[in-house]
Amino acid sequence: METLPKQKKNKTKYINPYLGGVLMGIVMLISIFISGRELGISGAIRDSVVATANVISPTAAKKSSYYGKFLKNGHHPMDNWLDYEVLGAILGGLLSGILFKRVRKPFVERGPNVSRGRRLTAALIGGILFGFGTRLGRGCTSGAALSGASTFAFGGVLVMFILFGAAFAVAYFFRKLWI
Amino acid sequence: MVSGKHIAEIYPVLHLWHWEISLYLFLGGLAGGILFFAAYFFIIGKEKEMSTTVKWATFIAPLALMIGLSSLLYDLHHKLYFWRLFTTVRFTSPMSWGAWTLLIIFPLSIIWVASFMKDMFPNWNWKWKYLNQFESFVIKYRLPFAWILMFLSIILAVYTGILLSAFNARPLWNVSILGPLFLVSGFSTGLATSMWLSKNDAERRILSRIDIFFILTELFLIIHLFMGFMAGTAVKLEAFRLFMGGSFTISFWIFVVLLGLIFPVTLEILELNGYHVPKWVPPLLILFGGLMFRFVMVDAGQITRFLY
Repeated sequence: METLPKQKKNKTKYINPYLGGVLMGIVMLISIFISGRELGISGAIRDSVVATANVISPTAAKKSSYYGKFLKNGHHPMDNWLDYEVLGAILGGLLSGILFKRVRKPFVERGPNVSRGRRLTAALIGGILFGFGTRLGRGCTSGAALSGASTFAFGGVLVMFILFGAAFAVAYFFRKLWI
Repeated sequence: MVSGKHIAEIYPVLHLWHWEISLYLFLGGLAGGILFFAAYFFIIGKEKEMSTTVKWATFIAPLALMIGLSSLLYDLHHKLYFWRLFTTVRFTSPMSWGAWTLLIIFPLSIIWVASFMKDMFPNWNWKWKYLNQFESFVIKYRLPFAWILMFLSIILAVYTGILLSAFNARPLWNVSILGPLFLVSGFSTGLATSMWLSKNDAERRILSRIDIFFILTELFLIIHLFMGFMAGTAVKLEAFRLFMGGSFTISFWIFVVLLGLIFPVTLEILELNGYHVPKWVPPLLILFGGLMFRFVMVDAGQITRFLY
C-alpha cells in the first residue's frame, strides 16, 4: 500500500489498527471477566459533574431530578467503578505514549490550516454536544457502542452504526475544522 | 491512674487531628528531605553540579516549615501556650524532640538560603554592614553548618513518623516502622521537589536514581508494615482491615501506592532508560502521594483503637 508523503514524515509509531481493535476487544473481555462490568467513559464524566455540583451546592444537587439519582442514600457519586477505570485509562495512555515515544511538550493537535483557537473552540462545542448526546443515549462510544455491541444488544449495535454513519455523513460539511 | 475516656473527642474514637496535622507532617518531611540533600551534596563537594539541590530548592524548605508550623499553631486550642514546649527537654517525648529540632533547623534553613543569595542573584545587596559580616561568617563555616543541617534534617523527617508511632493507644500508629517510613517518604518528596525545579539533566538523573532507591525502600517498608499488622493481635488486624476492603482501601492502595509510588517510579526508570517523560509528571505524583499518605495515616490512625 502506498503511503502519503505526509505520513512518511510522521515518525510517531502507532499500533496496527486491526491488531489494536482485537486488543481492545480482549480488554473488554478481561474487564467483564475480572469485574463483571463493561467499559465506559461518559459515566465517569457524569460522576465528576455530579460530585462537583454536590460540592458547590449540595441542596440544589440533591433536589435536581437527574443529579439527585446519584446522590441517594448518602451514596458518594465518585464511588463508582467507572471513575477508576478512566483514571487507569489516562495513566495507561500516558505510559503507552511514553513507551512509543509519542509524548511531547503540551501542544494542541490540529490540522495544518486550522488555527489553535478555532480548533479548541470547535472541540469544546463538539464536546458539549457529545456529552449532551451521551446522556440522552445512555452512553458514549465505549459504554453504549462498544460495550453494548459486544453483548449483541440491539441498542449498542444501533449506536455503533448511527455514530459512525452520522460522522461519515456530515464529515464533508465540517471538514474545514480540520484540513 | 487517670483515664482519658471521659474526654468526648478521645473516646471511643479520636477525632482531634484534621488537615492541619497531615499538612504539617507532609511539609516537615518535605523540608527535611530538601535540606538533607542540599547539605549532603554540599558536603561531598558537588555544589556546582547540583546547584538546584544545594541552592535553589532550599528556598522551599523555610517556606514549607513556615506554612507547616502555622497550620500546627492554627490547630492548637491554646495558641499562646505553645512556648511551654520550650520550658523543658524530654528525651522520651517525640514532640519535645521535634520542637527543639524545629527551633534550630528553621532559622538554620533561612540562614542557609540567605548565604547563597549572592550566588543566585549577583546584584543582591544586604545593605547593612553587620548582615554582610554575618554572611561572610556563615560562608566561612558552611561545612559545619551543612553537617548540623544534615543531622537535624534526619531528625526532623523521622520525628514526623515517630510522633504518630509514640501513640500507644492507636494500633495503626503504634508500630516502630512508621519512623523510617516517614523518613524515606519525606526524603523522596524532598528529592521530587529538587528534581522538579532542576533544569540540569545530569543533576536530575542523579536525583532520580536516588529517588528510585527511596521509593523502592518505601514500598518495602509499606509491605512490612502490613505484614506486621497481619501477624499482629486482633486490634492490629482490625487496623489492617481498614486498608483491605475497609474505608481507606482506595485512598491508600490507588492514590498512595499506585499513583504516588509505583507509577512515578516506573516513569523514572523509563526516563533513565532514555524514554522521554514530561519532567513534571513524576515529581507531581510523588508529592501528591506523599501528601495523601499523611492524610490517610492521620485519618485512619485515629479510627483504630483497642477493643475495650
